[in-house]
This record gives sequence, C-alpha cells and structure tokens, in this order.
Amino acid sequence: MPVDKDWTQLRTLLLAPEQTQLDELRERLDNRSVEPRDVSRVLPEAFAIRGGADQQMSTVLTPYVENGFIATVRKSPQTIVDAIAPIMGPAIRQAITRALQSMTEAFNHSLDESLSIRGLQWRLEAWQTGRPFAEVVLLHRLRYRVDQVFLIQRDTGLLLHHVAADGVVVQDQHVLSGMLTAIQEYVRDSFGATRDQTLNQFQVGEWTVWVEQGSRAYLAGVIRGTPPASLREKFRDVLDRIHAEQADAFVSFEGDTAPFQMVQPYLEDCLQAHYESGQSRNALKLWILGSITLLACCWWGWTTYQAHARWAHLVAQLKTEPGIVVTNERSMWGDHHLEGLRDPLATDPSSLISEAGIDPSTVTALWSPFYALDPQLIKRRAQVMLKPPSTVQFHIDGDTLVATGSASSEWGTETRRLASFVPGIAYYRDQSLVIVSIPDLLSQINHAAIHFSPGSATVEPSERSSVDQVLVVLRDLDHAVAQSGQRLRLEVLGSADGTGSVALNLQLSKQRAEAVFEMLKGERLGASTVVTVGTGGPLDRRGLASQYPAQRIVTFQASTEPLEPKSEPARP
Amino acid sequence: MMQKKVCMLGGFAVGKTSLVRRFVTNMFSEHYQTTIGVTVEKKTVTVDHQDMMLMLWDLYGEDEFQHVRESYLRGSSGYILVLDGMRKATLDTAHMLQQTVVRTVGPLPFVAIINKSDLQSEWEIDQTIIEQLREQGWPVFFGSAKLGRGVEELFGHLATLLMDPSLQPRAHS
Ligand SMILES: Nc1nc2c(ncn2[C@@H]2O[C@H](COP(=O)(O)OP(=O)(O)OP(=O)(O)O)[C@@H](O)[C@H]2O)c(=O)[nH]1
Ligand SMILES: [Mg+2]
Repeated sequence: MPVDKDWTQLRTLLLAPEQTQLDELRERLDNRSVEPRDVSRVLPEAFAIRGGADQQMSTVLTPYVENGFIATVRKSPQTIVDAIAPIMGPAIRQAITRALQSMTEAFNHSLDESLSIRGLQWRLEAWQTGRPFAEVVLLHRLRYRVDQVFLIQRDTGLLLHHVAADGVVVQDQHVLSGMLTAIQEYVRDSFGATRDQTLNQFQVGEWTVWVEQGSRAYLAGVIRGTPPASLREKFRDVLDRIHAEQADAFVSFEGDTAPFQMVQPYLEDCLQAHYESGQSRNALKLWILGSITLLACCWWGWTTYQAHARWAHLVAQLKTEPGIVVTNERSMWGDHHLEGLRDPLATDPSSLISEAGIDPSTVTALWSPFYALDPQLIKRRAQVMLKPPSTVQFHIDGDTLVATGSASSEWGTETRRLASFVPGIAYYRDQSLVIVSIPDLLSQINHAAIHFSPGSATVEPSERSSVDQVLVVLRDLDHAVAQSGQRLRLEVLGSADGTGSVALNLQLSKQRAEAVFEMLKGERLGASTVVTVGTGGPLDRRGLASQYPAQRIVTFQASTEPLEPKSEPARP
Repeated sequence: MMQKKVCMLGGFAVGKTSLVRRFVTNMFSEHYQTTIGVTVEKKTVTVDHQDMMLMLWDLYGEDEFQHVRESYLRGSSGYILVLDGMRKATLDTAHMLQQTVVRTVGPLPFVAIINKSDLQSEWEIDQTIIEQLREQGWPVFFGSAKLGRGVEELFGHLATLLMDPSLQPRAHS
C-alpha cells in the first residue's frame, strides 16, 4: 500500500515537531508523577483557598499537627517552655496576685469581725452551716456582688460567653442561657408584649437577675445582694461596646462562639462586688476592750479557781479532822456555808478556816454538838472529865479506857466509878495502875534528903534527880490531898554540919533550904498546898541523926491538915 | 465549639420529651407529664471529628387548643418532627408544624421520627404513608424512646444535616 506509506511520510514531515510534543504530553499524562517543585509553588495558595472554603483542611491537618506537637513536647520541652513562658508568666502572676488579694481581704474581714457580737453570731452561723467563717463574714458584709455574667445570642438563646466570680458554683450555663431565653419568650408571649418589651429583672431568693437587651445579644447578670443603679449603666455600656466591636461576628454567627472569646475582659469588668467597709478605729477599740475583758476574765477565773481550791482543801481537811463531820457545804460567789456535827473537844474549825487562808467572816457554820468516837477524842474527853494526875497515862483500846502509872487510892476509886460515864467508854481497866496512899506519899517525902557539899548552898547536879523525885511525889500528894478534901503543908528544912560557927551554920542551913525551895517553887501545886522554908535539926527530932551524920542536907516535913470550909470550889 | 439550636416539634404526647430524655440522660419514664412552655436540654455530639453542642428546645405538644409559638422557633438551626405511630392525626400536626417553620424561619434541615416503634403492631401509620413522606423528601426514622431504638441515629443524622445543610433532600409538599 504505497499510498498509506506516503501519507505517513507526509504526516511525519508536516507534523514531526507537534508529534514529538504530543508524545511528550502523553507520556506526562500517563506517568502522572507530580513534581515537588511544581506543588511547592502553589501550596500556600492552595491552603489559603481550601482553608477559606470550609473546615475540611483543618480537620484533616489537626491530627498531624497534634501528633507533631506532642512529639515536640516529648523531645524538647524546653523549646515549648521558652515559647510560652512570656505569655504564661504574667498570667500566672496575675492569678496568684488575685488569689492573694482575695485571701487577705477575707482574712482582714474575719479579723475585724472576730470580736464583735455580730462576729460571734456569724461564727455561730458558720459553725451551724459548716461554711468557713471568712466566707460567712464576706456574705454578710456584702452589699452586692455580681456572681455570673452571660452574653446570650438573642434569637437562638445560645451562650456566647460566660464569666463567674471566684468561688461561685456554676450549674450548666448553656442550659441556663436557653431557659433564660425561653422564659423571656414565654413571659413576653403570655402578656402579648412586643419584642422590645422585655423581662428586665427578676428576683430569686437572695439573687437578682438583670437582663440588658441589645439588638443581637443580651447580657444577663446574676447578682447577689442589692446592686446600685450605676451597675445597670455599666452593663449597658459593656453591651454596647460588645455590639460595636463584634458587629461582624454577630452577623456571621452560625453557632461558632470562638470569636466571642474576645469579650472576656468586658464581662469580667461586670463582675463587681461591694462590701461594707470595716471601721478600723472601732476595731482597735474593740481589741482593747476585748483584751481588758479577756484579762479580767483570766484574773477572775484564776482567783475563783484558787478560792475554790482553798475551799476544797479546807473541806477535805475538816473531813479528816477527828470529831468533825461535814454534812453539807456550799461555796458560791465568795460566800461559804458549812453544816455538820462537831464534838466540843474537836479542833476549833475557825482556826482551820483561818489557816486555809479563808476569811472566817465569809463562812457561816452550823455545828451540831455530838460525841465523837475517835480514840483521840475519847481520850481527850476522859482527861477532861476524869482529871487524872500527871502520873497517870490513859490509853484507849476500842471501847476500853486503860489507865497506867500511879495515882492515889481516892482518885483510883473515883475513876473506877466514873469512867463508864464518859461517852465512848464502856469499860475501864486499871490493873497496871499503882495506887499510892497519902500516908505512903507523906513518908516518901519525909524520908527524902538533898545533900550538899561542905560549906555550899548550891544544889549539885548529881542531886537534881533527888529533887525531881521529890517533885513527882509532891505532885501526886498535892493531887491526892486535894481530892481528899484536905490540904498539904510542906516545910523545907535546911541544916549544916557541926563544923564552923553556929551563926554561919544557921545561915548556911537557911540558904540550903531556900535553894531547894526555889526549885520546888517552879512547880504548879494546888492552892491547898503550903510550902514554907525553915532550919533546924529536924533530924534529931525524927531520929535521923545517925543516918545522916554529916547533916549537910535539906529535908522535908510534909503533913496534911483539914481544909477550912469553902476555901475551894467543889469538884464536878 | 459549634452550638446549634434544635426544636422538638410534634403533637402532644408523641414522645418529644421522652426522646430528649433518652438521648441526654438515657432514661425513660412511662409516666406522662406534659411539657409546659419549653424545656431546654443540652447534648454534645461529634460529627466528622467535630464536636457540636445541640441545644434541644423541647416544646409543648401542639393540639387544637395550643398552637406552637413562633417565637420559640426563632433562631433554630434545625428541628425534629415527632410522630406517634399509633395516632394518624399526629401526621397532620407534623405537616402543619413543618409548614409553620418554613413560613416563619425558612426551610431548615429537619428529620422526622415515628415514635413508639415498640408498639408497631398497633400502629395506624402504615408503610404506604411512610413511602409518601419519603417521596416528599422527608428523612423518616422509626424509633422508640422506651427502648432507646433509633434515638442516636435520629439526632446523629440531624447533626450531619446541620453540619452540611446541602445534604437535606429538597422537600416539596
Ligand atoms: N410505649 C412507648 N411509650 C412512649 C414512648 N415514648 C413516649 N412514650 C410515652 O408517651 C407518653 C408521652 O410522652 P412524652 O415524652 O411526655 O410526650 P411529649 O411529646 O413530650 O408530650 P407533651 O410535652 O405533652 O407534648 C408518656 O407516657 C411516655 O411514657 C415509646 O417509645 N414507647
Ligand atoms: Mg413533653
């Protein structure tokens, strides 16, 4: 087929350059490998065009950007820190400052209030409600506080932005916005009001809700307390500004609230609070007053405590005191009262009261007499009633009175008769009591002698025991004689030996008798006893000369004689 | 986050409140307590990796005494028409409501649900009617607030429509 061949040749001749181009193009179309360089040229524009059209771009890129970011944070956190530190620093500082400020404020308020009556009431309230005291103080001090501010799109009721004061519990602000809008529509419809007539304010418990209407959005403020009218102006102002600044965002609003993040400072500006100012001068006065009261209270408490302790000690002591039984005691406002039983022989309670450091005039005591059965008191009672001579000792053995020592037969018999009449004593035992009779005692005395050195009228120490023996006997004798209704006459007689002149001897005799007499004089003897001093040779008279040849002695001449009537009162 | 206002519309006692409650809190109550005015609820859904907060305005049911207040519809991005399968009359109410929306707010994305599918044997609304509705361009779902059937799908589908309104079939009555 030559024609065909010619055609092909002709075509090659005519279209060879185009053919090559065509082949090249086909080849490019067939292996559609994209040249990176080509893409790099259009990439930014492509991003811009697609990004402007819809969200697809960012949706697709988000996971990669996120992953990349996470990887960077893991690998080199410092880079991120460096990048965000300049922004975070001031933000954190601001947050801390604000937290500190509100803390100091709360603390100051609490301090101011901690001492007043109102403060006490609030403290009680805090305790009852379980809220911190500082919070209760703040709430009471509160004139008003804007708790929350909502910026709400008017038609949709969607929440554009929301801020809340520190510590305010926020429920669901989105649902609340919707309901707030619905309620407004409901109220408006129910009253047949026009769109411009709106629900501007309503009250819920301690909260007031203010609604400030704008053309696109409205502002709702939840306020605790009583806000001033100026706050309304503030709301209005803020709303106007937001409308002016966000006009575009309002027009293009389709449910994306991100652009309204910008209004945060404006809304925060609405979160105003106003507290009553504490009066520091009053607080100072209060402090001083409080301190004085506190000191007075301390002092009063201390003295009361001490008085109480003293009284308790006294009562305890009285209770252990034999012969005293406390049946009732009271101590109130410095007045004391004691009631009980007291043995007349028991220790005097008023001495104990003074000893305890209590003014006896503040104590009224009512003692009923009784016989106590404490051994000590029975013994004391027996001594008072039975008047034993000093030579007799009493012991109490249960309900038995035991007498030991020595006594005259008169006292012995009398006591045997009387002992069982002493309250507390049922039996009397005197087996160990030595009974001495007046004649025995007289002869004992009359046979006693005190010896002296030649020419001396001083009682030698060695002779003292002899004098003492005389004294013991004399005491018994005195007692026995008195009981028998007689009286004792005692002569102290001094004598000297034959050497020396008569005059000297007489003088010496007298001096010796007086020396012994001086020693006896110290003894308290019954009024019935008469002691005299004399000299002479009684030894001869009594036939004692052979016994005491030296005769440098003092002897005694004791005798009894009947008592003149009525010279002594009768014994009980 | 994207927020959208959605209205629940339908005759009285069709189960609007029950559907919302099932969707938001996953609860159901046999006890009927009619809605007075509006109750607003909130639920966040995810469409195409994007979160969307649905503000659900659960309106009182339309009946011969109370007609839906147009002010509640204002600002809606979409709505849900609820029918009670057991009462054919709720279909007419739904039609009327749909027209009200178109008239006052415009042709918004919407989804219809025939509720109480747990009692399907007693339904008055039959398959032919449903076909008619679909022909008119209504996306019709079956569901039961009681059993929780079809509820997620219902709200999920509306959310997709809200994200891309072009997906809504053109309704023609
Ligand atoms: N069996 C069954 N009963 C349902 C279902 N959904 C709702 N109900 C019952 O229907 C009654 C009405 O339900 P609601 O959800 O209050 O209806 P509503 O549409 O909100 O009613 P209004 O607010 O008065 O307009 C209640 O007794 C529900 O228990 C369902 O899926 N199955
Ligand atoms: Mg309801």
